[in-house]
Amino acid sequence: MAQHDEDKHDDHYHPPGLQHQFDDMGQQMDSVTVGMWTFLAQEIMFFGGLFTVYLVFRSRFPMAFAAGSNHLDAFWGWLNTLVLIVSSLTMALTVFFAQKGNRNMQVIMILLTMVFGCVFLGVKAIEYSDKYNHGLVPVNGWNKVIPEGEHEKEAAMALPFETRASAAESNAAAEEHHANPRGDFQIKDSDLDLVTLAQKENFLTESEKIGYFSNGEIDKAKFAGKVQIFFWIYFVMTGLHALHMIIGLGIMLWLLYKAWKSTFNADYYSPVEISGLYWHFVDIVWIFLFPLLYLLGRHFLAGGHL
Amino acid sequence: MENVDSKNLGESQGEEKVNYLTNGFSLKSWLLTKDHKRIAIMYLISVSVFFFMGGIYAGLIRLELLTPASDLLESGTYNKVFTQHGVIMVFFFLIPAIPAILGNFLLPIMIGAKDLAFPRINLLSLYIYWVGGALTLYAMMQGGVDTGWTFYTPYSTTFSNSYVMAVGLGVFINGFSSILTGLNFIVTTHTMRAPGMTWFRLPLFVWAHYATSLVMILGTPVVAITILLLAVERLTQTGIFDPALGGDPILFQHLFWFYSHPAVYIMILPSMGVISELISSFSRKKIFGYEFIAFSSIAIAVFGFLVWGHHMFVSGQSIYAGLVFSFLTMVVAVPSAIKMFNWTATMYKGSVSYDTPMLYAIGFLGLFLVGGLTGLFLGSVGLTVHLTDTYFIVAHFHYVMVGGTVLGYLGGIHYWWPKMTGRMYSEFWGKISAMLVFIGFNLTFFPQFIIGYQGMPRRYAAYPPEFQVLNIFSTAGATVLGIGMILPVIYLVASLFNGKKAGDNPWLLPGLEWRTSSPPPTFNFEETPVVTWEAYSFGEESGLDIEEARRAHKVSPTA
Amino acid sequence: MQDKSWVPLFPDAASSFAWQVDALYFYLIGISLFFAVIVVVAVIAFAIKYREKEKFATPEEIHGSIPLELFWSFVPFVISMTIFLGGAIVYYNQYKIPEDTMEIYVVGKQWMWKIQHGTGQREINELHVPVGRNIKLTMTTEDVLHDFFIPAFRTKADVVPGRYTNLWFRATKPGRYHLFCAEYCGLNHSGMGGWVYVMEQKDFDNWLSGSVSDQTPVQAGEDLFKNKLGCASCHAGGQNQRGAVLQGIFNKEVKLVGGQTVVADEAYIRNSILNPAGQIVEGYQPIMPTFKGQVTEEQLVALVAYIKSLSGDTSATTPGPPAPKPAESGAMQPSSSPAGGSK
Repeated sequence: MAQHDEDKHDDHYHPPGLQHQFDDMGQQMDSVTVGMWTFLAQEIMFFGGLFTVYLVFRSRFPMAFAAGSNHLDAFWGWLNTLVLIVSSLTMALTVFFAQKGNRNMQVIMILLTMVFGCVFLGVKAIEYSDKYNHGLVPVNGWNKVIPEGEHEKEAAMALPFETRASAAESNAAAEEHHANPRGDFQIKDSDLDLVTLAQKENFLTESEKIGYFSNGEIDKAKFAGKVQIFFWIYFVMTGLHALHMIIGLGIMLWLLYKAWKSTFNADYYSPVEISGLYWHFVDIVWIFLFPLLYLLGRHFLAGGHL
Repeated sequence: MENVDSKNLGESQGEEKVNYLTNGFSLKSWLLTKDHKRIAIMYLISVSVFFFMGGIYAGLIRLELLTPASDLLESGTYNKVFTQHGVIMVFFFLIPAIPAILGNFLLPIMIGAKDLAFPRINLLSLYIYWVGGALTLYAMMQGGVDTGWTFYTPYSTTFSNSYVMAVGLGVFINGFSSILTGLNFIVTTHTMRAPGMTWFRLPLFVWAHYATSLVMILGTPVVAITILLLAVERLTQTGIFDPALGGDPILFQHLFWFYSHPAVYIMILPSMGVISELISSFSRKKIFGYEFIAFSSIAIAVFGFLVWGHHMFVSGQSIYAGLVFSFLTMVVAVPSAIKMFNWTATMYKGSVSYDTPMLYAIGFLGLFLVGGLTGLFLGSVGLTVHLTDTYFIVAHFHYVMVGGTVLGYLGGIHYWWPKMTGRMYSEFWGKISAMLVFIGFNLTFFPQFIIGYQGMPRRYAAYPPEFQVLNIFSTAGATVLGIGMILPVIYLVASLFNGKKAGDNPWLLPGLEWRTSSPPPTFNFEETPVVTWEAYSFGEESGLDIEEARRAHKVSPTA
Repeated sequence: MQDKSWVPLFPDAASSFAWQVDALYFYLIGISLFFAVIVVVAVIAFAIKYREKEKFATPEEIHGSIPLELFWSFVPFVISMTIFLGGAIVYYNQYKIPEDTMEIYVVGKQWMWKIQHGTGQREINELHVPVGRNIKLTMTTEDVLHDFFIPAFRTKADVVPGRYTNLWFRATKPGRYHLFCAEYCGLNHSGMGGWVYVMEQKDFDNWLSGSVSDQTPVQAGEDLFKNKLGCASCHAGGQNQRGAVLQGIFNKEVKLVGGQTVVADEAYIRNSILNPAGQIVEGYQPIMPTFKGQVTEEQLVALVAYIKSLSGDTSATTPGPPAPKPAESGAMQPSSSPAGGSK
């Protein structure tokens, strides 16, 4: 960003990278650092609004959120957490090598960071397509259309030794291939077990007592509406996080170009440092997202208690 | 870009020094500038356009309310008109007005810096403002929006058939303009101060902008995400605010007001900063209780985040929440009172002159007094149950926003006009317009307190006939106010062509902005100033040559 | 409206806590005048006494005064606390619902108030209450936010979809008072109001058992059309009306959206009241709410009779063809009602 507009307006010596409005490199370094921290404060408030929304609805409908969590694959979430933590390490090493002025290692570390970032996004894409295939995108009509007849064929192929009818009734695998002729959001019947459990153990919240039942019976459609809220929040949160990752990759690309041209050294490495701050921030957001979305409520799977 | 920047004062020592206005005349030299002063001027023009659009909508509202029936405007049109008045005035005039114009122009000069810390981000914020504004204008031309500027759900997500998405996105995008401006101000104040310019030598204008920036940074993202969620909900027809889907419309109100109450302080704090400058300058006296005014700005910014619930006293929130928010609202009244008393005390034993900016400042004191005191009425929860959503609210927030922000803004524009343009406006017309604004404003909005207590709800296209008399007063006042607002455009623009040359320091003031030429050069100062005096020192110790100024004044009384 | 209160331009006060709100209001006006006089007098006095006497004078510097600052921080704080306490007490009285109340159910919808008494009477845009009884309103809405506001009672509360909110009052003075919707709710927000009638107990009892048997069907229909159902707010026949003009349409052909035409006979009118979205007349929006479940068969007959009379036809005898009885559960019950709002 800094290079091509160094000052020509007076005769003092200007180090490369010093912008016209600053007196010296120290002031510029301070400014960009304060600037990035201020920006991150802004980002915290931005995600803070989302976390507030999550907290409000989770405290009202914990069972629906647990049911939603169960549909997420904790393995992928765990893998992505690992990937991001390692990418934070490579990012920190990038700063280290920039301060040392070691061009080659900088380039390698930036490349590694980018690779990890891409792996993260790839895993995210796998997860999203899985939700698409299973009718878990929380917008009716935005899921994969599975016509009525087709799923029976699939079910029949998957389970050649059983009759179609019994397969559709009893088998979880068949349930996964439920017909979805309009691409609607849908949940499994087994998700309702969580409500039954909570009802039996008597820990339904007041909102749940109203929100899941019609005339004293569990209402699948009403419960599905609450699970839908979970997935709505899931997609908004992880989507915005992924958007931040993509922006981060853009910054990395620019950093790679600069590092390739040996721009950074012990005197001038603030772009690397503040890009690192941003990258770490995006990682930290994920560190909060992972347990909130993937892990909370999983113990109910095993019939656990509050 | 380079060729523009390089043509600086250092190189051209001709008869006429090159200033920021004469440093390049091409369109490109403006649109790609990194000069905070040029960006401020472009903001001034854009914001003025929006202000007058909002003003036209205001005029339509007042004309419609002349008669009880919904006759001039059909109620659907009226709903769009008041919504667009609100959206334009709040998001595209009040919030950017003082920070983006006066703050942008003056903050770096006042602290002795060459520019803001991030000139390119500053330019970006202007472009974001344009994009957000263009999107909003597009939506309005396509058919408008009728949700009220508060976008309350589920009306806005499900029931309104207007251009909610486009306007929402316009407001969302525009939010980043404030965020970037706030970020720039915070960093600049921290790292760019000239040698000797300690925190407690900063003009109170800078303190006020620092406090404003805190609110911009911490509040705007929340409304941004809220409006984004609203847009996604409207797009997908599933979400979290519509109760038909298990959502919660009150949650939207909480998130919305968490920003939009502090946003009121984004509007009023910079104006308070301007008033501190004006009162001190035209009393030629050090501001009374500098530290108290400075810290009260910060206190208002912080407490401002804790009182959003007072917009929701009747929304069905619990009685106890109502009481807590009422208590905190009462606490936030104290810093405003402190400022009020300190400004008054500043005039004590001063040497008070009545130039146009000072008339605006005194007008501000009167109107903000009423706005602030009626704020106590509304903070008192038992009264608010009766008063909320009536014309009492309308009158109150216009006293704060128009009486407070707009008067501060106009006062500031007049005060720094000679610095920004190098020209002096007509003092006669200035005084006339200041009086018209004050009288017209009171005539417009004071009757609304009375109608409000009588119970006339806001956002009504048609109303019971017993409210008509006071509505006629109000519309008459709006006419006077409108004239008072149009006059400055005419004589300020005229001054660019036939105004007297202003001189560098027409009022002999100590602030750094008065120690550079008028208009200032591109990098503000020929050499970085070193500050050795306290803020608001009008005597010789701050290096002002009073005898010389008096001699010059006798020769040519305006300079 | 009613007998004028002693302060001109001051609203009627007709509920048990209205005087408390007014007292608080006057207390605040007093406080405001106190501070306003101090500041305004000081500003004017300083402005005159210390006006500029010499150009570019340098008055003596005064940095400030800690005792003075503390004084004028502390005094406003104490005063604001008295205001807070006063407000808190009044608020508590406004929203703390007493034990022995007469319950009335309110459902808001765009753009009308539907009210049902505990004894079963339904009203639209009108509320009849006896004087001196504690009335508790249990309110919800079918669509967007509304707000039930009676200025003379000095109280209001938002009406929130999917929730029940409450409002209570005890009227102290018989009379007719404005009822407003105070939360913006869309197109016809300003038309969403009506009247609250406060009656002596015996008048109220009469009203409860009231019969309209002495009215002809046309008169009864006119009453329904103009007052009780509020049809006239859209169908009065003016230029800017949202509803179709009804004068002279009976037995004429009307053009529908989509190009068809239909004869506006009794069956059509009846159908349009119960199922308005079915056959929309060209040039109008499908905004009319259904009245299914809110009008009895007798009232339908009267309405049809009245609409016929607008076309000069006075043979108000034959009701439309017998149709299936309108669904009883009706629109009073919000979809996810946990507590049976209408019974």
